[in-house]
Amino acid sequence: MKIRTFEYFVREAVSSLRRNSLMGIASVSTVAVSLLILGMFLVMVLNLNHIASTLETQVQITVYMEDGLSDRDMREIGTRITKLPGVTEVMFIDKDEAMVKFKDRLGEQQGLLTALGDTNPLPNSFEVKVDKPEYVKPASQAIGQLKGVENAKYGQEVIEKLFALTKMIRIFGLILIVFLALAALFIISNTIRITVFARRREIGIMKYVGATDWFIRLPFMIEGMILGFSGALCAVLILSQTYSTLTEKVYESLAFLPLIPKSPFLTHISIVLLVVGTAIGALGSSISLKRFMKV
Amino acid sequence: MIYMNEVSKVYSNGSVALAEVTVDIHKGEFVFVVGTSGAGKSTFIKLLLREELPTRGRLVVNGRNVIEMLPKDVPYLRRSLGVVFQDYRLLPNKTVYDNVAFAMQVVEAPRREMQKRVHNVLDLVGLRHKVRTYPSELSGGEQQRVAIARAIVNNPVIVIADEPTGNLDPDTSWEIMKVFDTINKAGTTIIMATHDKTVVDAMRKRVIAIEKGRIVRDQVKGVYGYED
Ligand SMILES: Nc1ncnc2c1ncn2[C@@H]1O[C@H](COP(=O)(O)OP(=O)(O)O)[C@@H](O)[C@H]1O
Ligand SMILES: [Mg+2]
Repeated sequence: MKIRTFEYFVREAVSSLRRNSLMGIASVSTVAVSLLILGMFLVMVLNLNHIASTLETQVQITVYMEDGLSDRDMREIGTRITKLPGVTEVMFIDKDEAMVKFKDRLGEQQGLLTALGDTNPLPNSFEVKVDKPEYVKPASQAIGQLKGVENAKYGQEVIEKLFALTKMIRIFGLILIVFLALAALFIISNTIRITVFARRREIGIMKYVGATDWFIRLPFMIEGMILGFSGALCAVLILSQTYSTLTEKVYESLAFLPLIPKSPFLTHISIVLLVVGTAIGALGSSISLKRFMKV
Repeated sequence: MIYMNEVSKVYSNGSVALAEVTVDIHKGEFVFVVGTSGAGKSTFIKLLLREELPTRGRLVVNGRNVIEMLPKDVPYLRRSLGVVFQDYRLLPNKTVYDNVAFAMQVVEAPRREMQKRVHNVLDLVGLRHKVRTYPSELSGGEQQRVAIARAIVNNPVIVIADEPTGNLDPDTSWEIMKVFDTINKAGTTIIMATHDKTVVDAMRKRVIAIEKGRIVRDQVKGVYGYED
């Protein structure tokens, strides 16, 4: 294609967008909303997955001890745990140490603890690691039976719930996204239909003087792609800003929550959204060209 | 140049617009296609442009078999034809110059040639001084001349016109016919559907008369031959 021809296409597309700006704004907004929701679901699902898998690699059993055991009793329990199958590491955490750790985690919100005064409600505990996830369940059951053990907990339930949640969100999100993509497609093809209609004289003349089919179609395709891309760009800007703020906030106050770092994650999401938006634009205009522009 | 053999056209609603039409038109001819309203003149023109396809028969235009032609080749057939309509079909938001240049742009003609060529054809139709004018500022006859300039700007082998004087008074019609005659004298074949008796009788060119889709007369240096 000649550069001049390409210039002509872009000029035609832009001038037609200007003439039809109200429909253009409606299309861009619809695409933006659809892709923003798509983006939010992507970010949510990927993050939940990330959290669940991070937690999975960190599975450990926390063993809470009854109050008032002697040091000997506790050492005895520790030895027994060590002998259980699959156990690789047993670490004793006394209640004072646990309090220090807890305060650390709370960070700036330590003030919450002043209400407790000098009492320390945290129990003595063991943190037990096993070498394979499948040992977690039997080991924690066996530990639970030991005398002097209050209870033994592990994170598996939470992780399983997280994975189940991810799956549900994924299915729900998929349905919603398909629906929204159709809406975006519909409004773009409608916008292009209006442009085609507004320029039917021009199209007629182009056909009579022998313009090729793609020459007639391309300005409309470009127009649709500009609409789709602009909508995607809005969605990308909003989403990036929101996610940056969110990760910062989470990092400040809930540092243990393993969110995916924004770089290069946001770049990837942005590329996906921009490509999807442009594709929706191209598809939308080709639908309406097929229906309203017979040769 | 144009070879039509037993061509029939039946529209999807069943109306028979042309029935077994056989015509041969040679390079450089000036041909009037005459007949009353509804006779089939416009259908004849549309077949040549491949706006409609014949239902039966054989049709060759400029050496191209119109019936077997692939859709992607249609634009190239049309580049060898210039077309003029009764209603001018100019773009109201473009100047005279841009209306004519538009036909060159959409076939991606080289820009250097364009300016010269557009000015040449506007000279030929006598509108060089109106290049910057918009169609709404022109008379009907002037608008039709712009349309003719646009039809010939890409150097077509055949110029096809469907009732080009249908909206014009006799004097203006005559001016327009002189323009077509000049184009024809330069070697371009002209095929014109019309029911303008005055024009046909004055020009004394070949006349093909159609009635109810059939050719009833094909006459060298003919006359209109109807009273209407
Ligand atoms: N697109 C069409 N669909 C159905 N019938 C048509 C169509 N175009 C023309 N006709 C019919 O074909 C016949 C010839 O029409 P046309 O070629 O336009 O005649 P003319 O140009 O001589 O007035 C008429 O009876 C007309 O009603
Ligand atoms: Mg007609």
